[in-house]
Amino acid sequence: MNVFLQQTINGVALGATYAVFAVGFTLLFGVLNVLNLAQGSILMVGAFAGLELTLALHWPLLPSFLAAMAIAGGIALLSELLVFGPLARRGANRWMGLVASLALSRLLIAIVQEVFGTQVRRFPPAPWTGHVWQFGAVRVQSLQVVVIVAAVVLMAVLAYVLRRTRVGLAIRTMAFRPSVAQLVGVPVARLRLLTYFLTGALAGAAGVQLGVLYDAVSPFMGENILLKGLSALILGGLGHVPGAAIGGLVLGLTEVYSVAYLQSSLRDAVAFGAIFLVLVCRPSGLFGTATRQRA
Amino acid sequence: MIEWLQSYENVIALVFVNSILGIGVYLMLSVNRFSLATGGLVGMGAYVSTLATLHTGLPFAAAVALGTLAAALVALLLGTPVLRLEGDYFALGTLAFTEVFRVIAFNWDSVTGGALGLDAIPVRTTLPQLAGVLAALVIAVLALRGGRLGRIMEATRLDDMPAQSLGIDVARVRLAVFVFSGAVCGLGGALAAHMNSFIGPNDFGLQRSLDAVAYAVLGGLGHVAGAIAGATVFTVLPEVLRFSAQAREILMALILLLAIVFLPRGMLSVGGLAAPRGRGRAARPATAEASR
Repeated sequence: MNVFLQQTINGVALGATYAVFAVGFTLLFGVLNVLNLAQGSILMVGAFAGLELTLALHWPLLPSFLAAMAIAGGIALLSELLVFGPLARRGANRWMGLVASLALSRLLIAIVQEVFGTQVRRFPPAPWTGHVWQFGAVRVQSLQVVVIVAAVVLMAVLAYVLRRTRVGLAIRTMAFRPSVAQLVGVPVARLRLLTYFLTGALAGAAGVQLGVLYDAVSPFMGENILLKGLSALILGGLGHVPGAAIGGLVLGLTEVYSVAYLQSSLRDAVAFGAIFLVLVCRPSGLFGTATRQRA
Repeated sequence: MIEWLQSYENVIALVFVNSILGIGVYLMLSVNRFSLATGGLVGMGAYVSTLATLHTGLPFAAAVALGTLAAALVALLLGTPVLRLEGDYFALGTLAFTEVFRVIAFNWDSVTGGALGLDAIPVRTTLPQLAGVLAALVIAVLALRGGRLGRIMEATRLDDMPAQSLGIDVARVRLAVFVFSGAVCGLGGALAAHMNSFIGPNDFGLQRSLDAVAYAVLGGLGHVAGAIAGATVFTVLPEVLRFSAQAREILMALILLLAIVFLPRGMLSVGGLAAPRGRGRAARPATAEASR
């Protein structure tokens, strides 16, 4: 029972970071119908940005967390300005966009590798992240609490923006149908940029969270997380924002449990086997509806 | 000339192998399905043929044929459930297959050698063989596309509904093409395994699938030559960029990105080869419109 509780806490912390990443991923898919395979690399850039600010400039974690979000968001925004936007205007088909995101991902990894080298780097220990609360045999690290709280705050802010503000309404209109949004006077081009920024910022946040949680940042961390994001995306149903959050959480818990109770190397096989089944049996995801509600 | 060729033998062989994989993806694209199963299917061909060579002493041709058949069979079994999925869901379903394959190859130590992979595979694949296989494949695909079946595939690609109303069983057409594509991937994998003398699970993951897609898309959709052009550029570029060891990856990615942004219809659109077919709604997944 103690093992179970302990693993649940670990799983929720891990799942929270997956959820943040997956929500950004699915937002882009739901609103703009874009599957951006560079999202994992944007997360990696966010993690490096956060790391560099804390290490080189000795910023406290919170400002560097926010700055990392802004930087990752800025890169996503640039990718729309320089790559995806022009492609869409030239009438390239969707698969070309996918390949473009792939090339972009390579470029980001190559640049980071060139600047920072391939070594795994670590966040410096902060006084308030090392604390451990002991409940019986269950250990809760303050770091885990911080990660979970950050994830919850981010989700709440996003939900508020999407559901309660004019911008959110406009974004949801665009998700419903871009032509309708244009018709009712939504500045579609600017909102596309904003959506890219939001998804990039979420990826950057997840990057810093993962970086501090696992104490490891490397240029190649994006590849693995991309698979996790895709998995959470499928579990929740493509383009379904709350679904992706739950999908991320479920994925984190599944991984932690299967490591604890099964052979650890089978972890990914279990995850992908489950995803395969979900896809074949319920193509719209566990929470998707038939009519595909977006964003 | 001969010496020059010999010094680049590896690169040329790689171009041929990658062209074969590109054709595997191209086949699926020509029935409007974006397949990420390439990695798993290539792996299937590679592992089965390698195991046949290492353990049974079958002749090379038989081992390759076995690998090809195995991959085709897997495509048949996989295609039956997965081809029901449309658009991005199909891509993700095939991605899940590829990853499951990789993880199994990674963990089934007694058969696949686990993370260490299988090595000391006798090198049997020669350059003329690869060239011959590729040429035969191109001729077969051109003949297929030019004939009645090609028109059936084209109708299936453009739109399911009208195709069905013409009496085309789109599900069966797609399954048949998927099996063919699986055989092509398996063939490529089997040949590649007997070229490098080593295979490992990480040769066959998502990256392999994505690279193969890049070959097919980059050159230009809608023509088999596009797949070959894409594979060639994608394979040769890193070699050409060898002069700058430092920034090689950056340059490579940058050139790819620029090529995509400025030639969004593929590299062949410069010569006008792929332009007529790749236009407009061509090759766009039907779901992209249906769901809007």
